[in-house]
Amino acid sequence: MPGADKETDLSERIEAFLADLKRGGSGTGPLRGSGEMARETTALLRRITAQARWSSAGDLMEIIRNEGRRMTAAQPSETTVGNMVRRVLKIIREEYARSRGSSEETDQQESLHKLLTSGGLSEENFRQHFASLKANVIEAINELLTELEGTTDNIAMQALEHIHSNEVIMTIGRSRTVEAFLKDAARKRKFHVIVAECAPFCQGHEMATSLSKAGIETTVIADAAIFAVMSRVNKVIIGTQTVLANGGLRAVNGTHTLALAAKHHSTPLIVCAPMFKLSPQFPNEEEIFHKFVSPHEVLPFTEGEILSKVNVHCPVFDYVPPELITLFISNIGGNAPSYIYRLMSELYHPEDHEL
Amino acid sequence: MSSRGTKQKKGNVTNEQEEEDQPLQAVLIADSFNRRFFPISKDQPRALLPLANVAMIDYTLEFLTSTGVQETFVFCCWMSNKIKDHLLNSKWCRPTSPNVVHIITSDLYRSLGDVLRDVDAKTLVRNDFILVYGDVVSNIDVSQALQEHRHRRKVDKNISVMTMVFKESSPGHKSRCEEDDVIVAMDSKSKRVLHYQKTQGLKKLQFPMNIFQHGSDEFEIRHDLLDCHISICSPQVAELFTDNFDYQTRNDFVRGILVNEEILGNQIHLYVTNEGYGARVSNLQMYDSVSSDLVRRWVYPLTPEANFTDQRGQGCAHSRHNVYRGAGVSLGHGSQMEENVLIGRDTSIGANCHISNSIIGNYCTIGDNVVLDRAYIWNNVHISNKVKIHQSVVCDGVLVKEAVLLNKQCVLAYNVVIGPNMSLPEGTVVSMHHPEEEEDDDDDEFLSDDQVVGNSKDKTKQKAFNPAEVGSEGKGYIWKASLDEAEDEELAQCIWGLVLNPDPDSDSESEASDGSQDMGSRSVSPEMDDVKGNVTPEMDDVKGNVTPEMDDVKVFQLEVLGTLQRGEEENIGCDNLVLEINSLKYAYNITLKEVMQILTKVVLEYPFQQQGTKLSSSQYTVLLLPLLKKWSPVFKNYIKRAQDHLDCLSAVEELFLEQETHQTAMVKVLMNMYQLEILEEDAILKWFSAGATTDKSRQLRKNQGLQKFIQWLKEAEDESSEEGE
Repeated sequence: MPGADKETDLSERIEAFLADLKRGGSGTGPLRGSGEMARETTALLRRITAQARWSSAGDLMEIIRNEGRRMTAAQPSETTVGNMVRRVLKIIREEYARSRGSSEETDQQESLHKLLTSGGLSEENFRQHFASLKANVIEAINELLTELEGTTDNIAMQALEHIHSNEVIMTIGRSRTVEAFLKDAARKRKFHVIVAECAPFCQGHEMATSLSKAGIETTVIADAAIFAVMSRVNKVIIGTQTVLANGGLRAVNGTHTLALAAKHHSTPLIVCAPMFKLSPQFPNEEEIFHKFVSPHEVLPFTEGEILSKVNVHCPVFDYVPPELITLFISNIGGNAPSYIYRLMSELYHPEDHEL
Repeated sequence: MSSRGTKQKKGNVTNEQEEEDQPLQAVLIADSFNRRFFPISKDQPRALLPLANVAMIDYTLEFLTSTGVQETFVFCCWMSNKIKDHLLNSKWCRPTSPNVVHIITSDLYRSLGDVLRDVDAKTLVRNDFILVYGDVVSNIDVSQALQEHRHRRKVDKNISVMTMVFKESSPGHKSRCEEDDVIVAMDSKSKRVLHYQKTQGLKKLQFPMNIFQHGSDEFEIRHDLLDCHISICSPQVAELFTDNFDYQTRNDFVRGILVNEEILGNQIHLYVTNEGYGARVSNLQMYDSVSSDLVRRWVYPLTPEANFTDQRGQGCAHSRHNVYRGAGVSLGHGSQMEENVLIGRDTSIGANCHISNSIIGNYCTIGDNVVLDRAYIWNNVHISNKVKIHQSVVCDGVLVKEAVLLNKQCVLAYNVVIGPNMSLPEGTVVSMHHPEEEEDDDDDEFLSDDQVVGNSKDKTKQKAFNPAEVGSEGKGYIWKASLDEAEDEELAQCIWGLVLNPDPDSDSESEASDGSQDMGSRSVSPEMDDVKGNVTPEMDDVKGNVTPEMDDVKVFQLEVLGTLQRGEEENIGCDNLVLEINSLKYAYNITLKEVMQILTKVVLEYPFQQQGTKLSSSQYTVLLLPLLKKWSPVFKNYIKRAQDHLDCLSAVEELFLEQETHQTAMVKVLMNMYQLEILEEDAILKWFSAGATTDKSRQLRKNQGLQKFIQWLKEAEDESSEEGE
């Protein structure tokens, strides 16, 4: 039966993706860039939409929610996956509403009145069957994929508005988005980049090599020197792993130090973050927030006897509160941290915040 | 992205290209073939024992799957049904699993060698495969090692047969297993193993000179390596095990290959990594340290909260100080989980408890005011109030009653009841099985130790529990550690490993490694016993009745005899004799040690051979002495190192133990050999003082002549040392 074949093929793909997620990030955070992760997740969700058995939007949403739950559980620190699941759920809602011909659903404004009147009924509404729904949803997901492809370019295009000639810019660790951003600016302007190495994984070294290859004047400093060097810096430009619902960041270790130093010297702190990193998550959810990896990089296993006498921890992420951030640059433009809540409600349906 | 990430990716890409035609295979041995975990392993095979609440075999399978293995053969022997059930219910046997698991069970496996011979017989592997035990915990990325291995095999045509994966870690590391400590000499450039030796119990290390003459200008001697028990093998490994039926363990194999390197042309290589984690849970000490490494996240991403086995409800939350809590854990008022604590699902803990560095399983109940430090508590355990447990293992279903104190290194096996109000001394092992149950079976040492006991279950004699041992309401028997003199030394070295091992027979592996200077010869099969001259009555007159299936050793012995006869008749020079014996050695694949023993035996028996066994002692010596003198250069050629002297002496001793009537001649022979400078006085003295193991040999040593001779030697030594001053 070709149908059964398709299904096993699909579930095999899902399992492989889950296993990949679980093993992902041995040490330094994501194995792949989160952009790639977002695209892969979306492509997988498109496949599920195309191949799984469902008759109504409600069924499909249930399937995707289930798979989404498993994916996020496999690697809670990889928030991009959950975000993409939410985006797809939102797409299904919209397409369903369009098929029904009601445009109300699309401009869902959460007024108190509306919450009271329509609460609980929304799921019921998704039971209706539309023949064209599948094609429409897939079409919409394809659009999302195209959008994802272009995010880095979109962000990099704004570089010239933010980086001026002869500025000193500081960054930390390695972020692909920031890398593209700086390289784009370097095509027209001359400036100096200081990279904090971001021990113990020292992704900063790679960043510096890559930047200097592009002809940018680059200096690597130790993390401990961040404060000392800050007085010379005109702008801090960093990437992040996740943008939280309150406008804060979950970024690579050492970012908080950098942000505090920038605040002290009143240096503007700019975060380059594509929209798919926006996550409806608050920093108080302790279990999924932090991630500890093997302490090998801090104190090598070869060290011997001392290891049985000490406890070594190797956390990966820092929380940066929103008040330390000056500006977010996303693929749809610059935003202040206080505006994040608004973007959030545009991207995700409030019922999908909890998968 | 990190450098590591890119490396891994690159490795995967190239691997995939090669793997497209051939899936990567692995052989997983879910049996330990020893009884280190006895009596725990009596109720549950070792591969299924929980390590941080997950069965050990799951870690191994996860490791294999993550390295890209697509087909795994799991071999089980002891309690194979349990392992099978476990695997069938796990995610590994789901149709979507990227790693296809085949389970192969047989009660006939007694060692790693048997399994690999079966692999060969069934031609299961078609390409390079990974060989691991079911109790290996690792996150090492072996794709690099695999690539090196394949490259070597491509470059010089199947010469390299095995690549062993080692992890760098300096001596004294708690995750290094004393029993597996090795010293390795290797070529720095080609990573070829030149010499491999277990160091347990050795005070002196010896390296054969020829390893330094191999023509490579750089080599390393390393002691900072931790054996991960992961080896990448080519299909020839299985064939080699078939060809050499006496190979039981990987240790035998490695030594055998190294000794016969020139003849067979096989080589073994090493892959040393300093990233990742790899260790084998080979005894309880290792269980302790691997568990704590897991909780301290050394094996990331195989961490307790990752729930890689994909079981419902297994997940737990990780919070500060490496405290992990499963679903439905309740913690009483004032209880503290200090650090490195893992608590399984639906476990409830009472008030004012103090828990540190411990792992607690699922569905346990723990009372008030309990102190747990380095305790490993498995599932469904009830611990009452005021109990204190230090560095101990408490298995499933145990009931610990009020105010019990478990001192260090106690083991409470399945369903034991202890207490109330008592304290168990250090190293106590309590089990529901009576220790005498399997003593009846002890004589059959060739059976897998685990295996033996399985049959005896029905024989269980219901004996009363001793309330002094397990408390007034207790249930269980104390297992005493056997304190044989021979074992004392080892006991001190790896306490938790050996206390649990009350049967000296099962120790054959480590005993063999003690004498590891004698490269690769072990008395494993009865056919070989006669070579070493063990006193097996039916083997006494070996040459008279050669059994139809003559093995190499016997044929070799006959050949040596023939050579010597011809040598005497045709008056061939000693150099030519040596040459002939050497070529025979290679032809029959005999180790140097055996050559020497056989040579000694043949020469000493030569007079009997020529004149019949009815000779008197004096006639015998008259006939023998000129022969000894004549052939002394041959002896000198083979007897060089101190160990060789001892081996030669033991061969002499064994021969005279058999020929009891001629014991008086022994002194003369020894004297003669000493004067001909075949044997050194130090060696003789050492042999005399150390060698007595059986009653007979002790008696032999009481022989008057011999004692006089020794006396004389000692005096001579004193004199010479005085002269020296």
